[in-house]
Amino acid sequence: MTIRRVLASFLLLCLTASPIMAKLQVVTTTEDLAALAREVGGDRIDVVSIAKGYQDPHFVEAKPSYLLRLKKADLFIQVGLELEVGWAPSLLTSARNERILPGNAGFLDASEGCDILQKASGGVDRSMGDVHPLGNPHFWLDPGNGLAIARSIARKLTEFEPDHAQSYQDNLARFESRLAEKEKEWAALVSPIKGMKVVTYHNSWPNFAKHFGLDVVDFIEPKPGIPASPAHVRSLVAKIKAEKVSVLLVEPYFDPKLPEKIARETGAKLVVFTPSVGGRGEIKTYFDLFDAGLKLLTDSLQGGR
Amino acid sequence: MRLILPMLLLGSHAVWAQESTPRPGGGALQASNLLNPNISAVGWLQAEAGRRKVPDGQEKPAAVQFKEVELGLQSVVDPYAKADVFISVDGDGKVDLEEGYLDWFHLPYDLGLKAGKFRPDFGKFNRTHAPETAFADRPLVHEKYFGEEGLSSLGAALSWHVPNPWLFMELDAETIVTPDSSEAPTFGKARRKDLLHIGRASGYYDLTESANMTLGASYAYGAAGQEFNAVDSSSKTLRSQLYGFDLTFRWKDPRRAVYRSAFWQTEALWNQRDNGSASTVASKGLFSHLEYQFARRWRAGGRFDWTESPTDNAGHEHGGLLYVTFMPSEFCLVSLQGRTVRKSDGTDEHLGFLKVTFNIGPHGTHPF
Repeated sequence: MTIRRVLASFLLLCLTASPIMAKLQVVTTTEDLAALAREVGGDRIDVVSIAKGYQDPHFVEAKPSYLLRLKKADLFIQVGLELEVGWAPSLLTSARNERILPGNAGFLDASEGCDILQKASGGVDRSMGDVHPLGNPHFWLDPGNGLAIARSIARKLTEFEPDHAQSYQDNLARFESRLAEKEKEWAALVSPIKGMKVVTYHNSWPNFAKHFGLDVVDFIEPKPGIPASPAHVRSLVAKIKAEKVSVLLVEPYFDPKLPEKIARETGAKLVVFTPSVGGRGEIKTYFDLFDAGLKLLTDSLQGGR
Repeated sequence: MRLILPMLLLGSHAVWAQESTPRPGGGALQASNLLNPNISAVGWLQAEAGRRKVPDGQEKPAAVQFKEVELGLQSVVDPYAKADVFISVDGDGKVDLEEGYLDWFHLPYDLGLKAGKFRPDFGKFNRTHAPETAFADRPLVHEKYFGEEGLSSLGAALSWHVPNPWLFMELDAETIVTPDSSEAPTFGKARRKDLLHIGRASGYYDLTESANMTLGASYAYGAAGQEFNAVDSSSKTLRSQLYGFDLTFRWKDPRRAVYRSAFWQTEALWNQRDNGSASTVASKGLFSHLEYQFARRWRAGGRFDWTESPTDNAGHEHGGLLYVTFMPSEFCLVSLQGRTVRKSDGTDEHLGFLKVTFNIGPHGTHPF
């Protein structure tokens, strides 16, 4: 009898485990997209990101526990350009949630409408490393693209809740106005580092460099996803010395041993630079991401080479 | 995949338009290219050293073999289903349909349905295609109970994601055509219509942000050949019941995901198989595999094997395999492996392998 009651309770719980949600449930692949969704959605949405800001978004494991979030999602937002190709497609098809499948109303590819750099022209093959033929997927690091993503999210949320269109438009306008203020602040901050020569670990920064005027001279990994060979390190050290590169930018999820060695040999400063919201505890918003990053860069310049 | 579904959704109208107003020429060719499935190929080369003990009359494998090329075709079929087709071609040119199935991935009530030829969910290891396993061989217990290629047949599978707030749970019910005993020695088709029924319950739980565990229990029931009665010329179908338990533990720090990881998987099988003359053979076996990634491109691992035979539990085989694997990139690996097996007759077999695999085509999903 007791067993029957336990089984009956379990079945009842299973059948009622999806309560009606008042707020729109949004799942993003990265914390940057989650931060932008929060700016636009405010308290009308619940947002959760699959990848954490301190995680390499190329190498996220497609854990079944993520399916529990995706099953309930009204809207799924991905960076796109095959950044999440190793994990997002299998999660989407396994979640058994028709709403968020590509092409349906609950799917948003954030790259739409953004300024995408390094689109492949001509032949592409794996001799170029783990390349993204559709363009460099780290485009959220241009504040202009951040605004484009926020607009796409506002449009999508409005489609879901036309009655609250004004609320989303007000939030978007507030974000746009704050971004314009911040852009002025950041422009003043970066004026001393315009044209600064940097070497980055991975090719994560073309949009950031273009927007803030940095000159990315080379990369520590010779090709995307391919670790550096001793020959590449030797030629890189020579190049850094010859071109007087000031700074090595390294994402926090890469092993710092090799960049530290290169920094010691060349005198360039090693800056562990997080490319995502949540990469460090104090980076909670999209604005924090640039505040923290640009401060690191300007501080690195003050000590000289 | 990301592009194919919207293309299909948009493209379906174009297909209908073409049917009503046929337009031969380049336009049709271009649409066809856009709608092509993802095409990939996995190549598997292997060298073997040592004295392999093979049954009388069976040929020993060559020192260097092109084990197989596995061609994969994967695409969304329509807004409701996707299809996966894997065709293997071995070094002698023998072509085999490894898997080919249609998967309806969003039926109501969290159900999923699969139909075609596939590798059923008995345990976790059976689902993995040979080139993609960490090993140059298959675990002894899988060879003994499911044959050299693993359990695979034509059938249908229904799965249900059990909605609950605590963990990810899945129930699977699968029915496949019973393979011949030469393919899967635990079972054996007695009649043309014999079916093998498989059930599995599994649960996944995140222990911490870095560590997680999957537990599964499987059951299979089907024919195991037939017994003839010479006196009255009657025949009786023999039956086999197979129970399985599997545990998979994974560890990977998301802050250093490309550099360090650990993996531990254990599967145990227990079989009760009619042996004719009202006797039953109860047998068992297990393997346990541990792997540690100690650098971005390097992994080392080992496997312990212990198994009886489903047809004879008088003796057992045990052994182990050790390997070190180097991955120049995500798309290629070179693995040096050594295996030792104590056979049921008390003799030892020591083998060394060099396994090389490569993967060409679009970037697939990282295995989990």
